[in-house]
Amino acid sequence: MSVSFNQISKVFADGTVGLDHLDLKFDKGEFIVLLGPSGSGKTTACRILAGLEEATSGSVKVDNLEVTSLPPRERNMGMVFQNYALYGHKTVYENIAYPLRIRKIDKGNIDNRVKAIAKVLQIEDFLDRRPSQLSGGQAQRVAVARAMVWSPDICLMDEPLSNLDALLRLKTRTELKRLHGDLGQTFVFVTHDQEEAMTLGTRIAVLNQGKLAQFDTPRQVYHEPATRFVAEFIGRPAMNIIEGEIKDCVFKSGPFELAVKGQPDGPVALGVRPEQIVLKEVSTDESVGFNLDVLELVEPDALLFVNKGDTSLVVRVMHDIGDLDRGSEVHLEFPDHARHFFEISDGRRRS
Amino acid sequence: MAMVATLIAILILFLTPYLWIVMTSFKTRLDILSDAPVWFFTPTSENYPTIFIDKNYLPLVWNSMIVASFSTILSLAFGTPAAYVFARFEFPGKEDLFFFFLTTRMAPPISIVVPMFLLFSVLGLTDKPIAVILAHTTFNVSLVVWMMRGFFADIPREIDEAAMMDGHTRGGTFLRVLLPLAAPGLAATAVLCFILSWNEFLYAFILVAFEGRTLTVGIPGLVTPHGTLWGQVTSVAVVATLPILFFTFLVQKHLVRGLTFGAVKG
Amino acid sequence: MRTNRIIERVLDHGVAPLLLVPSVVLLFVILLGPFLFMVWTGFTDLHYALPNRDGAFVGFDNFRRLMQDDPIFWHSFWLTMKFVFGVVLVEFAFGLGLALLIFHYIKNHRFILTILLVPMMLAPIAVGLIWKLLLSGDFGMFTYYLRAIGLADLQTSILGNPSLVMPAIMLIDVWQWTPFVTLVILAGLLSLPKEPFEAAIMDGARPLQIFKDVTLPLLRPIIALVLLLRGIDAFKEFDKVFILTGGGPGISTEMLSIYTYRINFRDWDLGYGAVCAFMVYLVVLIMCSVFYKAVYWNEGRSKMAGKAAA
Repeated sequence: MSVSFNQISKVFADGTVGLDHLDLKFDKGEFIVLLGPSGSGKTTACRILAGLEEATSGSVKVDNLEVTSLPPRERNMGMVFQNYALYGHKTVYENIAYPLRIRKIDKGNIDNRVKAIAKVLQIEDFLDRRPSQLSGGQAQRVAVARAMVWSPDICLMDEPLSNLDALLRLKTRTELKRLHGDLGQTFVFVTHDQEEAMTLGTRIAVLNQGKLAQFDTPRQVYHEPATRFVAEFIGRPAMNIIEGEIKDCVFKSGPFELAVKGQPDGPVALGVRPEQIVLKEVSTDESVGFNLDVLELVEPDALLFVNKGDTSLVVRVMHDIGDLDRGSEVHLEFPDHARHFFEISDGRRRS
Repeated sequence: MAMVATLIAILILFLTPYLWIVMTSFKTRLDILSDAPVWFFTPTSENYPTIFIDKNYLPLVWNSMIVASFSTILSLAFGTPAAYVFARFEFPGKEDLFFFFLTTRMAPPISIVVPMFLLFSVLGLTDKPIAVILAHTTFNVSLVVWMMRGFFADIPREIDEAAMMDGHTRGGTFLRVLLPLAAPGLAATAVLCFILSWNEFLYAFILVAFEGRTLTVGIPGLVTPHGTLWGQVTSVAVVATLPILFFTFLVQKHLVRGLTFGAVKG
Repeated sequence: MRTNRIIERVLDHGVAPLLLVPSVVLLFVILLGPFLFMVWTGFTDLHYALPNRDGAFVGFDNFRRLMQDDPIFWHSFWLTMKFVFGVVLVEFAFGLGLALLIFHYIKNHRFILTILLVPMMLAPIAVGLIWKLLLSGDFGMFTYYLRAIGLADLQTSILGNPSLVMPAIMLIDVWQWTPFVTLVILAGLLSLPKEPFEAAIMDGARPLQIFKDVTLPLLRPIIALVLLLRGIDAFKEFDKVFILTGGGPGISTEMLSIYTYRINFRDWDLGYGAVCAFMVYLVVLIMCSVFYKAVYWNEGRSKMAGKAAA
């Protein structure tokens, strides 16, 4: 089974463009993450897939069947909402049972399935409670249970972890991954948190201002970002981007000079991830000297904020750095594999 | 489209009776008393001066103004501080006391007016508007307490705390910080009090002698078994209602909150 | 200078009681005073029209008379109850329907709401006047059209016909107060969170099921509120009946407030009248308690979950 967005555009009533000709296709069993900052269109795309919003143009297909004009209940998709949207006047049991009752499943069956999924999500003890008596994490799991109890083909999740505190978020993340592994359903997960995307997704669709920037596995998105936006969005701390110019195989930005190979002359943006910059104890042929401005020790890592002229960089070092102080000079090497070149004009990656 | 047509029909239904009265106040006696209803007529302005000037009904407008204004002021003065306490403090019996305020608003006028009448007679107050003003205050104070509690509760506690860190006392915070912030709510509450007092009939009818009559009280007096001068009585009704409609539109936003005791935020 | 500081100190520490007490005292005096006086009067034989009735203590005589000897009181009581149930039911049905209509089909609420405000904000006595004119047997506009479509004949004067007059008054009340019910329910609908509805859509529910399973339960506190508010106010009805019929013809529209008014201010039988007034108050108080419990106790429980972080 495959799901595809074909040239999906969405323009809102006030003129803002939510999605701009989105093309996306994925298969059954994948854990697809729609990742992007607010306003990127990720939630809009999810809601159009669900049928809660209408696309202005374009079509959505499931297994080559047009679903664009079908109401949500005919699309065989479940949804977990950011605020859980539980029915406050029903018990947890009734909340989960509701989609089954709607589909007129017989009572005995309902009971089995509700209890089964409650067990998987570890909420069997709460079945008699009401939503107002649940904690955030428990409510979230009830929402997941309700969305999945009737075994829809696709499970949509709109920032389900955003309202949980940090610790719970990590724990639930792992549980969701396990759930996906066990049930084998197709998950479509919306988030603005790149770490969530990287850990959960089989493939990540990075969206920016309504357009798809890149659709790849986490590894590829990390190592080969297709645009400057993706490069800067993925990874924490964010990739360093230095704007400068290449002339005669030398990249220059202010006093910062670096020998480069195989790159044409012209303006360019050079990207290097903080964790891939190598810190040397003494200066070498390859190294460039920087001034250390701020040092943040986050054991066992260290974050060095360095500058040279107008160029500022963040370096993440995962070993002991010895005695370095504010104002010291540090020697940095930029290995070939760590260098990414992007066009200044449109941010596209240079091959 | 059928929906819109239905709605238009409904709107006509709700508005026409009132429009009929307004029209009647501008009709001549002939037009009013004709067998078939007259929709197109030459308007006359004779009814208004006749009733208000010749028959001296103008003082009634003034009386309504006095009663409504003073009961509003009194209710605000007593009710607003109380509302502040309910919004910000906790104490035993708080909800019971709140319930007491509710009952005062609900008290059936017919039940209260009888002993009030007797009491005010004994005190010799029946000739003065103060009797009606006090009577109206019984339901308006509760309205103020209920509405303003909601408005004060809407202001985050942190503002109180910031003000006190800045140097204000609790009283100062109330006077100089919260009241100005709640001013729109206060205005809406004041208007609602005014409207309810202006529209009230029974207390005004029983508790005040002839000279102190309010506009509402003036209306039944013109409807007699011997015949009613409809042009004139509708003029009084129009003067009694039109200004109120104007005020209503001003506070439309807060109306639902006020009429439902703050349970529903309009 | 010093007095200023003292006042500030008092305000600071004693603020709560200082601010609260005046209003409580005011209400106690203006309301409780008369209330207690009314109860006391009920135990006397006070009468302003008969001689030698200066308020001598008569124990429970008045209460006994009310309970056993006054069929007219009970006629009035049940008439009022029928009125209350009738109008509240109809106003609820129409109000809910109208609110749903506006909610689903009208974008620009402001305009509609402005129009709807008119009947409920007119002074009730004026409402009575309006309909007295419209239903006049001789030149009432409404009567004319009713005759034109054959629903009335030349003899009929609706307000003079004992079997038609009460339904007429009930319809007038519906005209007057349905907008209020509509407004409150509409405000309630507008304040409902969107997400439970979307969840129900995703769960597969159809519009009617959503209405039954999500809308109505969420609206329940507001519905309870508006039903009770209208119930209490309908029970107290006086102004428009007073000017429309004065309780007539005969006693066919003599609702409880009108009856109590007659006993006290026409017959001047103040001792007995006080007991009648007390009964009215009692019923309203009971309705009030139900109201308070139903609305404010439930408020915490009917909230839809959107639970924040644990």
